[in-house]
Amino acid sequence: MDTIVVNHIAKYFGETQAVKDVSFHVRPGEIFGLLGPNGSGKTTSIRVILDIYQPDKGNVTILDGPMTEEKLNSIGYLPEERGLYQDVELTRNLTYLATLKNMTKEEVEQKLPTWLERFDLSEHQKKKTKELSKGMQQKAQLIAALIHEPEIIIIDEPFSALDPVNTQLVKDLLIELRNQGKTIIMSTHQMNQVEKLCDRLVLIDDGTVLLEGSLKEIQEQFATNQVLIQSDSDLPENLPGVERIEQEGLYYRLTPSDGYMPYAILQELIDQKISLNSFEIAKPTLDEIFIKVVKEGRNGNEEDN
Amino acid sequence: MKKIIDVARYEYIHHVAKRRFWIALLGMPLGFLLIMALSVLFSYLSFDNEPVGYIDQANLITQPQEVPEKIGFTDIFIQLLPYSDEDSARTDTENGKLQGFVVIPVGYQSTYSVTYFSNKQPSSDVVRQINRLIRENMLLQEQIPHLERIEAGSQISLQSLDGSQSSDGTGWHRIFVPILIGILYFILVMSCGGYLLQSLVEEKQNRTMEIMITSMTPNQLMIGKIVGNLGVGFTQILVWVVILAIGLLVFRDRLPFLGDLNLSPGYMAISLALLVLAFIVSAGLISIIGATMSTVEEGQSVNGLMVMPTMLPFYFFQTFLTNPNGIIPRILSYFPLSAPFSLSLRMAFTKIPAWEIISVFAIQIISIALVFWLSGKAFRRGLLEYSKKLKLRDLFVKEASNG
Repeated sequence: MDTIVVNHIAKYFGETQAVKDVSFHVRPGEIFGLLGPNGSGKTTSIRVILDIYQPDKGNVTILDGPMTEEKLNSIGYLPEERGLYQDVELTRNLTYLATLKNMTKEEVEQKLPTWLERFDLSEHQKKKTKELSKGMQQKAQLIAALIHEPEIIIIDEPFSALDPVNTQLVKDLLIELRNQGKTIIMSTHQMNQVEKLCDRLVLIDDGTVLLEGSLKEIQEQFATNQVLIQSDSDLPENLPGVERIEQEGLYYRLTPSDGYMPYAILQELIDQKISLNSFEIAKPTLDEIFIKVVKEGRNGNEEDN
Repeated sequence: MKKIIDVARYEYIHHVAKRRFWIALLGMPLGFLLIMALSVLFSYLSFDNEPVGYIDQANLITQPQEVPEKIGFTDIFIQLLPYSDEDSARTDTENGKLQGFVVIPVGYQSTYSVTYFSNKQPSSDVVRQINRLIRENMLLQEQIPHLERIEAGSQISLQSLDGSQSSDGTGWHRIFVPILIGILYFILVMSCGGYLLQSLVEEKQNRTMEIMITSMTPNQLMIGKIVGNLGVGFTQILVWVVILAIGLLVFRDRLPFLGDLNLSPGYMAISLALLVLAFIVSAGLISIIGATMSTVEEGQSVNGLMVMPTMLPFYFFQTFLTNPNGIIPRILSYFPLSAPFSLSLRMAFTKIPAWEIISVFAIQIISIALVFWLSGKAFRRGLLEYSKKLKLRDLFVKEASNG
């Protein structure tokens, strides 16, 4: 049974159609990437999932049924627009938001110190939110989304205000939560994080789904047989079986000629006694796939129009 | 229910725990007392209580002015001293022993004119005391029986045509409770409505709202906020009522009308219940404003409009007194935002049929349902519209979007 099924939802705002036709499903215990450029309909889709907006068409199934108050309690949400009471001290802020997720005050008092410790916020717990840095506020917001141990976690741009140390902290936490069997939907523009964390993803633009699947499936789908090599030697201008050689920093990207496979290029490099530090099949990055798919999608739409 | 209580508790503590709440709370009665004290002090300082002399050339004054045994701080008394001749009175005036002197000439009974000698105008109190001295002495000569009682005037008893309402006084004290209800209602809408509006718009501005409405339904959130702010209002009122009660208790001997106040349980229950219901309607409307506004400043200017209907009965006060069952008092009783003061005021002066009271309550309850339904829509559509103001018609035709 899928944890979340989004079934052909559409959402209008007056004349504007924010979501035209979005469908995807999220499996239990996976990190699911919800990707798309700005204004593509991601936030609206999330709000439909959370029952903030009613869809004009289609429906959403959460844990095998419609949204209920009880299910809301089992969802942790980190919205794109962060929100904490600015004039209220951190502990009180988090206690209040946690009680709204049906925790008792005693439960919060028991669990909050561990969370504050983990996010290095213990010594700031008596400070007002406005006295905390942006990164600290973001970590506090994450605590608010997670302290009630939700089954489903929906996080919008979780790394946006974090330094590399805290980014790693949050990544480790997300992996840990996935290992505990929690289902996570993550919306972000940071494709490198998606590559490292997400099991599956959906890419939407202009309110429609452009791509859905596991990272491996998608990368294979867009693979080009290019190889990446690292070498201390200079490469000859022409290599048999290689159509194009491009230097990318320390790497060379080699595009095979028609009919040539990567292993044939490797054989050629060995034959020419070129020293190799590394040789790998170049998978397209998610960034590249993202740009390619969005561009193609938009060109297709223009042609349709 | 737990979430409603959690929200209400948070709202209540959030406001009541603030120092500025208590400064405002105690500042109002203290400020009022300070103004009262200053006005008394200024009156006292500007009051000239030096004696006034009189020369009775007409031989009218057989009974001199009665000097009270005890003169209180606020009592106005100017002693009138008899003088045999103008010269000695003039000397005392020039020496500052008198503020002036009056000559009652021979033939006063035909001219009814006296001359007051002084370098400054006589105060109204001086004029009143001189007139009283002359009048009382002239009436004494007429040998009128029960003179004192006649001067005191008649005791007028009032009774409604159907005999259901009666009063043994002039009735002014009966407006005490309705006015108190009107003032309390005004304060509730003004201050608690303001708190509610501020809380909603702030949650919108600081983006907490999106978390709130993914934890509970919009109506739960709204009810919690209204209950919490109502609690803040009642705390305010309770403190003021206690201060007022202490004041009335201390000065009860000087406020004889207190015994005549209509504090019957039925009357008080209807007035207070209507006060709470009307505040809920106002709070619902304020929530709609809060949901559609994007800054606190915008909301506050619109909130001023919410306060105006609470004051409507004040503008038609005379109509309420002269014709409590007239068309305007009736309309204002049915209008949800002016009902508490209007109905309470009418009930003080006339008997209202039960069906009319029930209708007023029914309209309040229907209004609450309507306002809650509308504010539920406003919450869903307006609370996530961070950057621009939502128009009221948008609640019916479109939803807000952030992409």
